[in-house]
Amino acid sequence: MLKNITIGQFFPGNSLIHRLDPRAKLMLTVALIVAVFLSQGFAGFALVLLFVAMAARMSRISLKFLVRGLKPILYIVIITFVLNLFFQSEGRVIFRWNFIAVTDGGLRRAAYMAVRLVLLVTSSQLLTLTTSAISLTDGLEALMRPLKKIKFPAHEIAMMMSIALRFIPTLMEEADKIMKAQMARGADFESGSLFKRAKAMVPLLVPLFVSAFRRADELAMAMEARCYHGGEGRTRMKQLRYGRRDLAAALAVALLIAAIATLNALGVF
Amino acid sequence: MPIAIKHLTHTYMPGTPFETRALFDVSLSIRDGEFVGVIGHTGSGKSTLIAHLNALIRPEPGRVIVSGVDVGQKGQSLIEIRREVGLVFQYPEYQLFEETVEKDVGYGPRNLGLPDAEVKVRVAEALSQVGIPEELSGKSPFELSGGQKRRVAIAGVLAMRPSTLVLDEPVAGLDPAGREELLKLIQDIHKGGVTVIMVTHSMDDAARLCGRLIVLNRGEVAFDAPPAEVFRHGDELVEMGLDVPECVKLVKRLNECGFHLPDNLFRMEDVERAILKEVRGC
Ligand SMILES: Nc1ncnc2c1ncn2[C@@H]1O[C@H](COP(=O)(O)OP(=O)(O)O)[C@@H](O)[C@H]1O
Ligand SMILES: [Mg+2]
Repeated sequence: MLKNITIGQFFPGNSLIHRLDPRAKLMLTVALIVAVFLSQGFAGFALVLLFVAMAARMSRISLKFLVRGLKPILYIVIITFVLNLFFQSEGRVIFRWNFIAVTDGGLRRAAYMAVRLVLLVTSSQLLTLTTSAISLTDGLEALMRPLKKIKFPAHEIAMMMSIALRFIPTLMEEADKIMKAQMARGADFESGSLFKRAKAMVPLLVPLFVSAFRRADELAMAMEARCYHGGEGRTRMKQLRYGRRDLAAALAVALLIAAIATLNALGVF
Repeated sequence: MPIAIKHLTHTYMPGTPFETRALFDVSLSIRDGEFVGVIGHTGSGKSTLIAHLNALIRPEPGRVIVSGVDVGQKGQSLIEIRREVGLVFQYPEYQLFEETVEKDVGYGPRNLGLPDAEVKVRVAEALSQVGIPEELSGKSPFELSGGQKRRVAIAGVLAMRPSTLVLDEPVAGLDPAGREELLKLIQDIHKGGVTVIMVTHSMDDAARLCGRLIVLNRGEVAFDAPPAEVFRHGDELVEMGLDVPECVKLVKRLNECGFHLPDNLFRMEDVERAILKEVRGC
């Protein structure tokens, strides 16, 4: 049931990749995504794939996790592939059935789009798998800080995000408990018409809301008791600091982008 | 309804870095009319074990047999098992949701598909069983006091008329008077012919209420015996993060000083009587 859902699918570890500065990791992930979009052919993709595979190996994430993360987009990949396959008509026809024609250009295009999608997801997964929710929001807050000049509530947004992320597992655990308690009283969440099933959610949702509000109240009290008064003048126990490894990672990504640009310039696809 | 558990193992989130083995090769059986206590350190698998009794977790691997019916069997109607085995979770007041006490207690019976008249009878009976006065039955459960909420939640399970009642730390978070009242109520339910299985952190409660104790340690059954025998293993219990009841400690100290008191005394009154008896030389 609920236990199979993982949000903020952090895979704890202590590798070099895990220890990169979250700001650097966020920016480098964006750069990696740029690299994917820059590639005009499979040669570039191969480079990106090699890069991601090496990074995954360094972070000791099992391949199973990366593959599992692709499951939610499986259908999108298939639809992308099929649409491109049938609606591209450049090149030589290699297969024809009634009005449907598949060309070699179409096949190439379809594969290109599908691989690109997979690479995009895998690259961003590298970030979410190796960075805890807390340091992710820390990084985001730091990166958004310049926006404060235009009255953008960077601290508040980061704080809300980290509280939300912190409480998702708690609420899921709670939902699981309440669900079990109601099932012990004969509740049935799994069968019946849509209307019946929606109605069956009431005994789950009411207690869940009550407890969410209670928790919010307690949390507000606990934060005030520790003198929380917004982001103004607040210092951090763990200062974010760029290190040599961040530089090394940035150089590696820069090299990757340069290599892809070279491939493009040489016309190697 | 007799319950048998055979070679039950349970692992949460297998194949992930969060994999936890909560139960390992647990075998035990519970006869009709028993009052069984389950004790063990936090995380020893108590809650996981009792969730199996109610088919909330599929036994895998292992078997759970409730009155001859294999819980894990495919296509087995779970509602039958849940009617037989009533499960009261830890902090059951957090499961209340209806507008009135009466409706909330009736939720279980309605799920069993009983007619309204029968539901009404059972609700009234369950509420009087837990000592909630009739005037409260039209109130919102969220308006009640903590102890009352807990008793209403227990009534919600009793209204299904289970032949076995399983309670997970029923007195956690109650004040001393509320504790005593609730424990008395559980004893009365037991006297009414219901098999009771109770998870508890209080060694004193376990000793004086239960006829038999199951001690879990890191997911395995460490002891399964009457209280007197379990509490003879004081040192081992302490090593498991548990303790022995105050009376047992007292008796042990007195016996070291030359008394000859029996080791099955779990109430201060009984210890007092035994001491007087020995001092006055019968
Ligand atoms: N839903 C769950 N998902 C993952 N691990 C769990 C879950 N429930 C319990 N556990 C783990 O299983 C072990 C046994 O837990 P539990 O049965 O709740 O013990 P107890 O009730 O004796 O404190 C603990 O290590 C706990 O962290
Ligand atoms: Mg527990």
